[in-house]
Formats: sequence, C-alpha cells, structure tokens
Amino acid sequence: MGRLLAAVSSAIAIGFGLLTLVGLLVGQQIPLFATLTDIFLQLVVITAAVTILIGIFNLLAVHTSRIGRRRGGWVYSIVLVISAAGVLLLYILEKAGVLTGQPAITTVLLETVQVSIESALAGLVLFALVYGAYRMMRRRVTWGGILFTLVLLVLLVGALPLPGLDLIASLRDWLLAVPVSAGARGILLGIALATVVASVRILIGQDRSYRE
Amino acid sequence: MDGTTQIITILILLLTMVVSVIVTQFIRRRRDLYTLRDIPAYRALPMVVGEAIEANRPVHVSFGSAGLGGASTPLALASNELFYQTAERAAIGGVPPILTVSDPTAVPLGQDTLRRAYQSRGLLDRYRRGSVRWYPAGPRSLAFAAALTATLGDDRVSANVLVGSFGTELALVAEASARRNRTVIASSDQLDGQAVAYALADQPLIGEEIFTAGAYLGGSPSQIAGVVTQDVLRWLLVAAIFIPAAIAVGDAILNGRFSLAISRLLGGG
Repeated sequence: MGRLLAAVSSAIAIGFGLLTLVGLLVGQQIPLFATLTDIFLQLVVITAAVTILIGIFNLLAVHTSRIGRRRGGWVYSIVLVISAAGVLLLYILEKAGVLTGQPAITTVLLETVQVSIESALAGLVLFALVYGAYRMMRRRVTWGGILFTLVLLVLLVGALPLPGLDLIASLRDWLLAVPVSAGARGILLGIALATVVASVRILIGQDRSYRE
Repeated sequence: MDGTTQIITILILLLTMVVSVIVTQFIRRRRDLYTLRDIPAYRALPMVVGEAIEANRPVHVSFGSAGLGGASTPLALASNELFYQTAERAAIGGVPPILTVSDPTAVPLGQDTLRRAYQSRGLLDRYRRGSVRWYPAGPRSLAFAAALTATLGDDRVSANVLVGSFGTELALVAEASARRNRTVIASSDQLDGQAVAYALADQPLIGEEIFTAGAYLGGSPSQIAGVVTQDVLRWLLVAAIFIPAAIAVGDAILNGRFSLAISRLLGGG
C-alpha cells in the first residue's frame, strides 16, 4: 500500500511539474498549456494561503503546550498567545466595521512594535559582524580570515564621512564593484546551476521528499 | 520568453535530465566511480548530532525564510534533505530536534520530514508535531532571528544547522550561539547571509554545497549523480564564459585576426 501511494504521489508530482514546465516554455504557442499552468499556479497560491492557518494552529499549539508544561520561557508564551489573540480580535473588529480609525490599529501595532524592535536589532548586526571577524581571527589565522578582516576594515573606514579618506573610499568602491561583484556572481551562478539540477531531479522523480 | 531563451532553457533541462539519469545508472553499477570532495560541514555533522544525543539536548535546524511555491522551492527541498539526514541521526536521542521556519508553507514540509526521519528508525511514536515551529515573520526578518536566539536558551539547544534563506540577521543567531559555545553549521542562498555564515559559522557551507547534502550524508546513486550533473554543468558554464573571453582577448591583441583564424580552423570563411 505504501509503495502504491508513493508511486501515485510521484506520478502526480511529475505530471503536474512537467505540464507546468511545458506551459511556461511553450505557453505562448499553445494556449492550452498556458491555461493549465495558470490554473496550477492559482492552486499553489490557494494552498499557500491555507498553510498560514496551519502555521497559526502550529504557533498556538506549541506555545499553549509550553505553558501547560511550564517549560523554559513559558511566561513569554503567555504574552505571545494573549498578543496573538488580541491582534486577531482587533483585526476581526476592523473587518466587521466596529473599529474604523485611520490608520488601522493593527497597522499602528505593527509599525510601533515590530518595526521598532527590528530597527533596534538591526543596529546590533554590525557589532555581531565585527565580533565575528575577531572570533574568526582568534580561532585560526588563515588567509581567508585575514582577507575578510582587511576588507571589513576597508569597508567600514571607507564609509566614514571624514576628510582625507578619499583613497580608502575609492578602494572600497573598487572592492565592491570588481572582486565582490565577481565573487557574488560566481556564488549565484553555482546556486542557479544547483537549483536547475534539484528541480530536474524532482521532475524525473529522483527526489525523495514526496515518495515515502 | 523569446525563441532563443526557450531553446537554451530546453537544452539545459534536457542535458541535466540525460546526464542525471545516465550517471545514476553508472554509479549504481560502480559505487566508487565518483569520489566526492571533502566538505568539512558534512564531515562534522554526524559528530555534532552525536554530541547533542550524548548531552541529551536538541539539535536546532532552520529553513530561514525558504518555503514552497516560490523561487526558494528548490532551496527548501535541498535544505529539507539535509534536515532529514540530521533528524534521522538525531531520532535515536532522547530529545527531538527542533525545526524552525518563517514561511508557513515550510511547516507541513518540516513536519513530514521529521515524521519520515522517525519512521525510518521505527520510532514513529516518538515523533512530536510541536518540534516544528513557525515564527511568523517576513523574509529576512530580524524578529525571526530574535525568536531563534530565544529558542537557543529556552530549549538548551546543543547545535544549530541554519541552512536556507537568511540575510544579515543570521549574525545575531550565530553570535548568540557562539556566546553559548554551541556549534553552528550555516549557509544561505542570499549573498549577505552567505557572507555572514562564512564569517560566523563554525562550519559554513558555500553556495551550491547546500544542494549536495543528500549525496554526502545519504549517498544514494541518484543523489551522487546530482552532484556529478552539477559539476558537468559548471564546467560547461566555465567553457561558455572562458572561450568567448579568450577570443575577445585574442582579437584585441591580434587586431581581429584571432577569431578569423579560429573560423578558418573550423572550416568557415
């Protein structure tokens, strides 16, 4: 039975994948494939929307279980569950027309809570990176580590708005335009090739994720 | 899509398909046909999981913002393979691994991965759906990084495998991990996340190495064939970049006579 299910799921995945691929490649010449592709992509959007509900249930289940078992951080879980329920209630009231303020209160909450917290955390990223360079050099001095630290220093110093740093600023611009850009393209090309191979493996049924 | 792009796309896909299928058959017959180069992160992973089992602590794995249905789908499936291999090894321990996601479409994917890992060990009764945790946040969200940082302390995580789609926020998680002296294996499909992973992770994976987890940790012929196919495509790309560049340099030196000589050599004008 398990094998039959695996075969059926493989056939469905391969069939839908190939039809979508054909639709994307020759949809302009053969409209039927373009229509099919559109329908499949709409189904994907609907399924993705449903997964948000799965996510909300997951979130509430994880945190209510944490509260029930008094596991580490359970007090924060209480705050999370109350906040989630509160925001959900506010949103329902907004949609029902009970709360009519402009801007919407849920938007205000998002901007004043999440955006502020994220801005504060963004400031910490720089320190984490500098600490990373220090940690890297302390662990083992390698050519890669030296290069990373030097480039980090040049980028940081080159970004300073001080007079007399024109040479370092030019060096910084050159670093970003030539070696960094070249390296970035190399990595992106590698990822793109691997993505093609991974996609084809799924299309020909060599990937295991939907077979078991 | 214009005609030339169509043809090139179809050719690349066909070539990938053919190489992948043929190499799989060859490797099935001779397992030692292709030697995989050493990737320290994959060498270290079984040891990291072993330490977590001995310490009775969970291994934390994270997709970041990778999910299904968008451009990051192949990445999510590749990361998923790595997490499967990790979870399969960790399943025999007392504490289940924790899988965190930011994209809700990765929740069912993660749950299925953990379920399959426990099933493969015959320990399905130990599988807990709550081991997969959704931290709602947009792509590259610092709030997601903050949630992961809290998880490290609350769940006394032993090691982190952060392989998916991360931005610079990865620095916060890696730094928090380093303060607790916990191992981090990290990689990202985003360039800034990749740079942070290289600097801060104990064992970084670089670029396409994310996609080779199955070959290194699972080792089935089709997974190894995937790595060989990547190599074949890479060399073809190198040739496609290098040959026109060499011709352009030759023409610049010989005033256009280089391409003419090659054209004659190949039987043209």
